[in-house]
Amino acid sequence: MPSPSSSLRRARPLLGTLVEISASGASAGLQAALDAAFASIEVIDRLMSFHAPASDVSRINAAGAGCAVCVDPHTFRVLQFARELGEMSGGAFDITVADVLMRGGLLPRHAAVAFDTAAGADFRDLVLLPGDRVRWRRKGWIDLGGIAKGYAVDCAIGALRAHGVASGIVNAGGDLRFFGEPQPVHVRHPEAPGALVPLGVFGDGAVATSSGYFSDHTGTAEGSAAEPLVDPVRRACVRWRQSVTVVAADGMTADALTKIVRLAPRAAPRILARFGAQAFVIDGRGVRRCGSAMPADAALA
Amino acid sequence: MKLDQWVWLPVAAISTSVYATTYFSTEEAQQAIFPGEKLTPAFFTLSDAQAKKIEDTTDVNVRHKDIKAWKASGGGWFILDEVVGKHEFITYAVGLHADGSVKQIEIVDYRESYGYEVRNPDWRRQFTGKTAAAPLKLEQDIHNISGATLSARHVTDGVKRVLATYAIALK
Repeated sequence: MPSPSSSLRRARPLLGTLVEISASGASAGLQAALDAAFASIEVIDRLMSFHAPASDVSRINAAGAGCAVCVDPHTFRVLQFARELGEMSGGAFDITVADVLMRGGLLPRHAAVAFDTAAGADFRDLVLLPGDRVRWRRKGWIDLGGIAKGYAVDCAIGALRAHGVASGIVNAGGDLRFFGEPQPVHVRHPEAPGALVPLGVFGDGAVATSSGYFSDHTGTAEGSAAEPLVDPVRRACVRWRQSVTVVAADGMTADALTKIVRLAPRAAPRILARFGAQAFVIDGRGVRRCGSAMPADAALA
Repeated sequence: MKLDQWVWLPVAAISTSVYATTYFSTEEAQQAIFPGEKLTPAFFTLSDAQAKKIEDTTDVNVRHKDIKAWKASGGGWFILDEVVGKHEFITYAVGLHADGSVKQIEIVDYRESYGYEVRNPDWRRQFTGKTAAAPLKLEQDIHNISGATLSARHVTDGVKRVLATYAIALK
């Protein structure tokens, strides 16, 4: 006899946000599937947290130039993709900007960091070695804030699929991914978080949004928020009153591409096309889209 | 198909007065965190001195001195607490092992409310663009919002307060 079908929705504070996971399918395995999905996010959080002293990110940041650091295969995969995007975007996507975030008070300072002598390492200075090892050619500091949350969401989706649920949704604030039932997706308006912009109905895929509206660091003269997003060319935090949303096949790609759209607007259409992704920019003037519409994007086609 | 152009879309914002999700009843949350265990209510009220001590050690306000705690048959604790921000109201449950370490944290209820702004036409006009957007109650319709959640920080602070409450009043 087929087991009865139902759905479960749960939320936990993880990744510095509230992570909501929904799953539907045969009711017997749903709770185990949700537990596994949350657990997989905790693993990524532990590996890639800037704050946890034992994380791979902290160990890389503690290492001096020339020392090889062995990391988890998950971390290595994210570093590899970050490297690829760095090359593709001519350096607009760069994970080695943590020193700028520390200087700006957006990340806690590393005790050992001597900022005055920071020579400005870039993404090419973190050399990826065989056997999931990395080494600084020139010393820098990484933060995976622009990419790891999307990857964590991918891992949670993988856990739900591995448990055989029929459809699932993982929403980690700015990073959303789903499979199974096509999903209507709304984006908060950057000028009014209580206002929602309907983007359409999407099939299997990921949606990531980058915006400064809930940034804790507000109150600048221009009224815009200082955000934890760094322009690697100027090595300074950007200020913006728009929001960028990217729809892509997976969460890590969507998450990272929002930063490329913001920091490299000229190169973005080419890079979006390469990943079959589309971007939406929302501001006070309205909604703009760039890139190909995905087949299940029925509402706005 | 042209891939390299930005196209304006005819989409208007919807102003929500309330966005809310209930994940659990209290009993369901108890069973999720302590499956199969019996939970006994052990509600209590913090003294002024205890509340002050909690505030001093955590730097987090003690909003309610009445603590909703349950003792699990296995020795753990289940504490129901809430955090309130400018626009949000979140009820959450913290399960503690018998030794006071965190076993599990679950959001029980999440509610965002924008009542004042949504009723205010000037506020609505600033973002609705060409289309007038009526305030809607969309609890049923809107599930997938891409964009930051309001208050992970408040929940994090709340959990700190719960842990201090355990250390000062339950240990």
